[in-house]
Amino acid sequence: MNETLTVAAAKPWATGSERPFVRIEKITKKFGDFYAVDDVSLDIWKGELFCLLGGSGCGKSTLLRMLAGFETPTSGRIEIDGQDMTGIPPYARPTNMMFQSYALFPHMTVEKNVAYGLHRDGMKGDEVRDRVADILRLVKLDAFARRKPHQLSGGQRQRVALARSLVKRPKLLLLDEPLGALDKKLREETQFELIKIQETLGVTFIVVTHDQEEAMTLSTRIGVMNAGVIVQVGEPSQVYEYPNSRFVADFVGTVNMFEGRVSEDEPDYISITSPEVGGEIYVGHGVSCVLNQQLWFAIRPEKLRVSRERPEKEHNVLPAVVEEVAYFGNLSVYRLRLDTGKLVQATKVNLSRSEEDAISWDERVWVTWGDTAGVVLTQ
Amino acid sequence: MPRASTILLVVCILGFVFLYAPILSLIIFSFNESKLVTVWGGFSTKWYRALLEDPQILGSAWISLKVAVVTATLSVVLGTLAAYVLTRFGRFRGRALLTGMSTAPLVMPDVITGLSLLLLFVSMEQLIGWPAGRGMTTIIIAHVTFCMAYVAVVVQSRLADMDESLEEAAMDLGARPVRVFFDVTVPVIAPALVAGWLLAFTLSLDDLVVASFVTGPGASTLPMVIFSKVRLGVSPDINALATIIIAIVALGVFIASWQMRRAARHG
Ligand SMILES: Nc1ncnc2c1ncn2[C@@H]1O[C@H](COP(=O)(O)OP(=O)(O)OP(=O)(O)O)[C@@H](O)[C@H]1O
Ligand SMILES: [Mg+2]
Repeated sequence: MNETLTVAAAKPWATGSERPFVRIEKITKKFGDFYAVDDVSLDIWKGELFCLLGGSGCGKSTLLRMLAGFETPTSGRIEIDGQDMTGIPPYARPTNMMFQSYALFPHMTVEKNVAYGLHRDGMKGDEVRDRVADILRLVKLDAFARRKPHQLSGGQRQRVALARSLVKRPKLLLLDEPLGALDKKLREETQFELIKIQETLGVTFIVVTHDQEEAMTLSTRIGVMNAGVIVQVGEPSQVYEYPNSRFVADFVGTVNMFEGRVSEDEPDYISITSPEVGGEIYVGHGVSCVLNQQLWFAIRPEKLRVSRERPEKEHNVLPAVVEEVAYFGNLSVYRLRLDTGKLVQATKVNLSRSEEDAISWDERVWVTWGDTAGVVLTQ
Repeated sequence: MPRASTILLVVCILGFVFLYAPILSLIIFSFNESKLVTVWGGFSTKWYRALLEDPQILGSAWISLKVAVVTATLSVVLGTLAAYVLTRFGRFRGRALLTGMSTAPLVMPDVITGLSLLLLFVSMEQLIGWPAGRGMTTIIIAHVTFCMAYVAVVVQSRLADMDESLEEAAMDLGARPVRVFFDVTVPVIAPALVAGWLLAFTLSLDDLVVASFVTGPGASTLPMVIFSKVRLGVSPDINALATIIIAIVALGVFIASWQMRRAARHG
């Protein structure tokens, strides 16, 4: 699912060798008494495709608008390409933004919309025509150059907006929910186009989305936001496999969560007593915690195994009843009720076309997982 | 439900008759051969010809036209600026006061507007020597004061409807605020500007009270001339004149509403 990881072979965020391209330092934005963005610090490197992920109203757009210069931070500063952005108006910043609403000029043709930014830079005649033609070919809209925005479909408008923000070859491109209005197929197509554009033009992207799957597919790194705060920053696989809080675990993907207390704390394993499991959870690695501390054990549905026979294992084996089976084509999702009454979700990849003997409703089964398959969360 | 719809139809027809019968009779009698206003004497266009040969009417019509065009143009410029400041500059000191003041002329009785402006012009002339005497200039100033309030209201609602991110997008692409205003804001609100211009034009053409207060010798507008003629008895050439005015106003209203509808469609 993640092509981009291989592309970004060098990971400056991991080594910290290069100077960050965008530095957001302790930035806060208050609307009245309300903190829309609360003390956010973030470094983004050149050539990254960084996704800001978070629920509705968590401050993603506000952060982006501060980068573009439409909102003035209450405190903190932003640096782009080594230049302090404080007091620099939007028209003088090395950024271009693609708006959530596309914001195409209704009285101009597609061509004129795209050319507008180039004209503002003092570019003239043939050069403008060539650049516009190139970029329209890239987004496959060359046949629509003479149309007005209201004569286009939603997906075509979105591509015009993308072309308009790309044509100036900004150092930093800000996309606010760029694919929000597209159907699934067009969305996937455009995601790949975005990645291609990013590779060919070498632009740095910051993309806002509330679709976690989109963030996973697109990004080199993800910043998860909640209530104005960045909760976790990391590569998609890091955020997915090693969430640092219950919020992230829950927000990115699906997760089964068990609350419990530490009953054994050894250097190479811990044991968690959880009433929701009706016994002990064995975690096969050390965790920095104290005895009797309250914590949460999170495990993804695809890491649970379901079987009729009891597996030959000592730990992490639970009896359950199949409550529901949902078929999704490529995989099946089982909803299981543990004997304690807790519902858990498990997924299984459908390897063969028809499984006569597949586990079905109301069967008694065993649920099990590897000793290091889950994550222990303390907050 | 045939009964209910029949009643509705009757009410509707009565309403239209009430509204338009006087205008219709005025138009019909403007083509009357007879000199008596209430007696039909056959079809004729002689009153229209008489109108064209009346220097007083023609002169005042020309003045009214000039006043209306200049008023409408100035009102659109000033009203748009006021509307822009009120909708785009967020909260600033004195915003509530400016809002109130820009809309007050809408509800102010004409007599008070006229009287207060007359007093202002007189004292200004005494203090700074301008405007020297009263005439077309003072009428235009007076008309602009109340017409721009109407324009401001029309433009303000259009600006409030407009997607502000259009302006942000232009700025993001490198346009300075003044450029943004002329490249994006003005074209998008153009239908409201046309509608506002026509509205101001009609209001100015129509005004009798305010103009009577602030005018001076030699600058009688058309409504003033008509009014003074009617006091000596209604003559059929006034019918002809009224018919022409109705035609102009109807055309103006039609174009304005057509522009508004077009704007709503393309939003
Ligand atoms: N101009 C403003 N005045 C007051 N409050 C605002 C303003 N703009 C945004 N907010 C508030 O700030 C919070 C963050 O808004 P923001 O637009 O950044 O959310 P978001 O993360 O982009 O959400 P969504 O995914 O729905 O677009 C919201 O609670 C919003 O109500
Ligand atoms: Mg948003």
